[in-house]
Amino acid sequence: MSQTRGLCIHRGDSAEAAPLLHAPDAAKPTLADLLLANNIPIETRCHQRGWCRGCRARLEAGHLETLDGHTIAAPADILTCTIRADASAEATVRVPERSLVSARPRVGVTFSIDTPYRVNPLFPADGARAITAAIDLGTTTVVVLLVNAATGELLARAGGLNAQVQYGDNVLTRIAHGSTTDGLAQLREIVITKTLAPLLTEALRKADCAIDQLNGITVAGNTTMLHLLAGENPASIGVAPFTPVFLETTRVDCERIGLAARVKGLAGERPVVLLPGLSGYVGADIAAGIVATGMAFDERPSLLLDLGTNGEIALQRDRAFFVSATAAGPAFEGSGLSSGTRAEDGAIADLAWAGEDWRIGRLGGGTASRGICGSAYLDFLAEGKRHGLLEANGRFRDAWWTALPEPMRERTCHGRAIRIGSEPDAPRISEADVARLLQAKAAIGAGVETLLARVGMAAREIGTLYLAGGFGLHLNVANAIAIGLLPGFDPAQVRVVGNSALAGAVLAAIDRDALAEMETLRARTTIVELNHDPAFEDRYIDHLSL
Amino acid sequence: MSEMNALSAAVEKGKRNDAKLLTQQLLDAGHKPLDIVEQGLVPGMSAIGEKFKNNEVFVPEMLIAARAMKECMILLEPLLAKAGIKPKYTAVIGTVQGDLHDIGKNLVAMMWKGANIGVIDLGTNVPPEKFVEAIKAHNAQAVGLSALLTTTMPAMKTTVDAIRAAGLTSTKILIGGAPVTAEYAKEIGADAYGTDAASAVDSLLALLEA
Repeated sequence: MSQTRGLCIHRGDSAEAAPLLHAPDAAKPTLADLLLANNIPIETRCHQRGWCRGCRARLEAGHLETLDGHTIAAPADILTCTIRADASAEATVRVPERSLVSARPRVGVTFSIDTPYRVNPLFPADGARAITAAIDLGTTTVVVLLVNAATGELLARAGGLNAQVQYGDNVLTRIAHGSTTDGLAQLREIVITKTLAPLLTEALRKADCAIDQLNGITVAGNTTMLHLLAGENPASIGVAPFTPVFLETTRVDCERIGLAARVKGLAGERPVVLLPGLSGYVGADIAAGIVATGMAFDERPSLLLDLGTNGEIALQRDRAFFVSATAAGPAFEGSGLSSGTRAEDGAIADLAWAGEDWRIGRLGGGTASRGICGSAYLDFLAEGKRHGLLEANGRFRDAWWTALPEPMRERTCHGRAIRIGSEPDAPRISEADVARLLQAKAAIGAGVETLLARVGMAAREIGTLYLAGGFGLHLNVANAIAIGLLPGFDPAQVRVVGNSALAGAVLAAIDRDALAEMETLRARTTIVELNHDPAFEDRYIDHLSL
Repeated sequence: MSEMNALSAAVEKGKRNDAKLLTQQLLDAGHKPLDIVEQGLVPGMSAIGEKFKNNEVFVPEMLIAARAMKECMILLEPLLAKAGIKPKYTAVIGTVQGDLHDIGKNLVAMMWKGANIGVIDLGTNVPPEKFVEAIKAHNAQAVGLSALLTTTMPAMKTTVDAIRAAGLTSTKILIGGAPVTAEYAKEIGADAYGTDAASAVDSLLALLEA
C-alpha cells in the first residue's frame, strides 16, 4: 500500500484493515488502548509500561509519534503502549498474531475428584438427555467439560481465554468495568458470544453429542465472574466490606444468561446452576475445591491454597473454615515482568542452574517461546538463593554477576539482568523482576502465616496442603518451600490437585449431595481480613527477603 | 557523629536491630531525640528515597528500610512528645473509604515523619467526614489520600469534594496509589499526585513552602 488514509490497522496476515469504530480517549492515550477499544486484544501484560514487548507491532507505512513526542518513520517495530493514539495519523500498522492475547493460553484441565461420591445427578438424567456441561469460569481462562451425569463418564472438554480479558486482566478492572449498566452488558455479552458459546459447541462436537442431549450446566468461578454471568452488578465486591450481591447456589437458565440465543438448538429453559461461594474474594471456585479435594471431610487440619493474582487460602480445622485472599498481584502469571508469560505451550516452566548455564524445561506442545512463566521464576529465586546468585534482598551478588560470561548478562534501565541463554534475544530476568516476585511471594507467605497464627497453629500441624490452580501444577514444591512461598511446610505435606474448581463443577453435576455440601460450607466459614491483622504487614516485610 | 552515620546506614540498609541498638546508644550517650531523627534517621531515609526515585532500589528494600526507621521512631516518639517538640507542619493521612490496603500509605506516613512533618494517621477505610474532622481538629495544612484499587479510586473524589465543601479550601490535598495518575489528581481537584513515597515528600514540601 503506497498511500494511507488515516490510521490503518491490520491484524495478523490480513490484507484488509480492521475497522476502527472507537476514537482515541483522552484518558487512554496509547495506541495499545486504541487497539483494545477496537476489539483488537493486544497483549499488555506489563500494564503498558514498555517493558515486555508483548504489544509489539510493525509500522509498515507512514509516521507515528511516541508518547514523549518523538516521530517514528516506517518501516519500524513499535511497542504500541509507547505510541500516542492518533486515528488521523497517516500510517499503516500490522499487529502480528503473537502480540494478541488470543495466542493460545494453556488451560488447566488436569484435575481429580478425591472424595467419595455417588451418581445422583443434579439435573434429571435419562438416556436421551444425560449430559451436563461443567464449567470453570476463570478470570483468565475458561474450561467447558462435558460429563455423562448418569454414569459419571467424562466425554470431552474445550478450553480457552476468557474474552473479557480485553476489558482488563484482573478481577478489579472487571468489577470497575461491570459497575455500569452498559459495561455489565458488554462483559456478559462478550463472555457468552466469544467464550462460552464457542467452547460449548466445540466440546459437543468433540463428544459427538447433539445439543438436545444437554440437561444443564454447572458453573464454578470466583464471585465476580459469577456476578457478571448472572448479570448482577459487582460494584460492591470492589469496596470494603466487599459484600457480594449473592453467594448462595443460584439457579438461572440458558435464556436468562443469553446463552440460548447464541447456541443453535439450545433450549432456553435448560438450567444453569452457579455454585455457591464463601465471600467476595473467596468464591465458588474455592468452595468447589474444598469439596472436590476431600478437604471438607479431612480429620486432620488442612489448607487449600490457590496461587493466582488473588491468592486464596482456606484453612480447615474440625470442619470449620477460615478463609483469606491475599493480593499477590499478577507476577506469578508472568505479568509485569520483562520476559514473563502465562503458562502457555512452549514457555519456560522449569529452570535449574547447571554450574555454567541454565537447564531449561518447557511446557510441552507448540514451539519454544521466549517467555518465562511463574513456575520457572520461582525456580530462579530458589536456585539463585541456593547457589549464592541472589542476596537476601533479591539483588544479584556482585561477584557472581560479574563472573557470568558477557552474553549472559545485561544492564538495562531496570537494573541488572541475567539472560536465560546467551542469544541476544534470550529471555531475561532483571533485578526489578526479582523485586516484583518477592512482593508476590511475600503476600502469599505472609497470608498463610497470618491465617495459621489466627487459629494458633504451625505449618507442621497441617495434615495436607492442597495446592490448586494451573500455576500449582507446574510448580516445584521443594523450591516453593525453599523461598518461603509455603513457609514452614514439608514437601510430604503438599498435594498438587490441579484445577479443583473444575473438579467441583463436575462433582456437583454428578452428585447433588456434593453441591449441598458446598452450600453448607459458608455457615461454617470465618472470613479473615488480612489487612485488619496488624501482624500481617510485619510478616509481609519479613517475607520480602529471600 | 560517626554513630549518627552508622544509624543512617543501618536505616538505609533496613537493618532494624542495628538501627534500634544505635538509637538506644545515641540516647544513652545523651543525644537529643530530635537530633537523632534529623541527623540519624532522616539522612538514611532520604538516601534510600532518592535511590528509589532513580530506580536504583525497589519496593522491597524501601519497605524494609521504612520498617527499620519505624522501630526507631517507636523509641523516639514518646521522648519527642515529652520534650514538647512541635513539627513545623501537620498532615493527615489515610486510605479512602472502601480500601483496606495500607502498606503504601504507611510508607508515605513514615517518609513524612522522616521529613519532620507531624502525621495524623487515620488508618484504612476512612470515610470523608473523618478526614474533614481530623483536618479541623489538628489544624492540618495538608492531607494525603491513598487508594490501591481501581474500584476505590472514586472515593478519592468524594473525599476531596467533602474537604472543599467543609470550607477547607487552603488545605493541600495529595493523592497516591497504584491506579492513580497525575491527570486523575487534576480531574478531581487534588493539589498534587505522588508517584512514589519519596516524591510524596517532595510534593508535600513544595506545596507547603510555596
